[in-house]
Amino acid sequence: MCEREQDLEFAMSLIAYSGDAKSHAMEAIFASKKGNFKEAEQKLEQAESSILEAHHIQTNMLSKEAQGENITMTLLTVHSQDHLMTAITFKDLAQEMIDLYKVVENSL
Amino acid sequence: MAEKTIMLVCAAGMSTSMLVQKMQKEAESQNLDRDIFAVSTSEADQKIDDGTVDVLLLGPQVRFKKDEYNKKCSDKNIPVDVIEMRDYGTMNGANVLQTAEQLMDN
Repeated sequence: MCEREQDLEFAMSLIAYSGDAKSHAMEAIFASKKGNFKEAEQKLEQAESSILEAHHIQTNMLSKEAQGENITMTLLTVHSQDHLMTAITFKDLAQEMIDLYKVVENSL
Repeated sequence: MAEKTIMLVCAAGMSTSMLVQKMQKEAESQNLDRDIFAVSTSEADQKIDDGTVDVLLLGPQVRFKKDEYNKKCSDKNIPVDVIEMRDYGTMNGANVLQTAEQLMDN
């Protein structure tokens, strides 16, 4: 696999894992909206583990760069960073929303 | 117009277009006449209404919208599925094309 091809795959994997985490976070909110808090917590855990995978890829890219192997900067690599940031934000906010739904349910 | 149309949907339609290129190459090598393209979620509805789409595949980042698309597509008989995360990350055009073909065969 050529260097460029490898960078492309790094970016796409980062998007795949981050995207998976974001979807899990949204599904966690959907579950808690229906009162399924156990399912919501499980979904959040899955989001967490996908973010961890994404982080590994990210760390890989960073250490490559630190070793002087410059990664080809493309719009896609920048875009993949957007996905990771979004996923992290979504996961953190999903936790807060689940807590909120719990408060609402308990006050009914 | 191509024999069949495959629509890929993701948040911005950007990352998925990389996968589209791989799928197009694969379709060509299999001598399949396919129109394959990627759109953002905001453009997808229009395409569904146009009635030209034969199968819809969602990127892992919009998997949570699967139910929503199932509802929109059921009366138009457009099958909907989510692209396998591994196939997405490795841009495995052959596998994703196979998934689309199987959905259309059903």
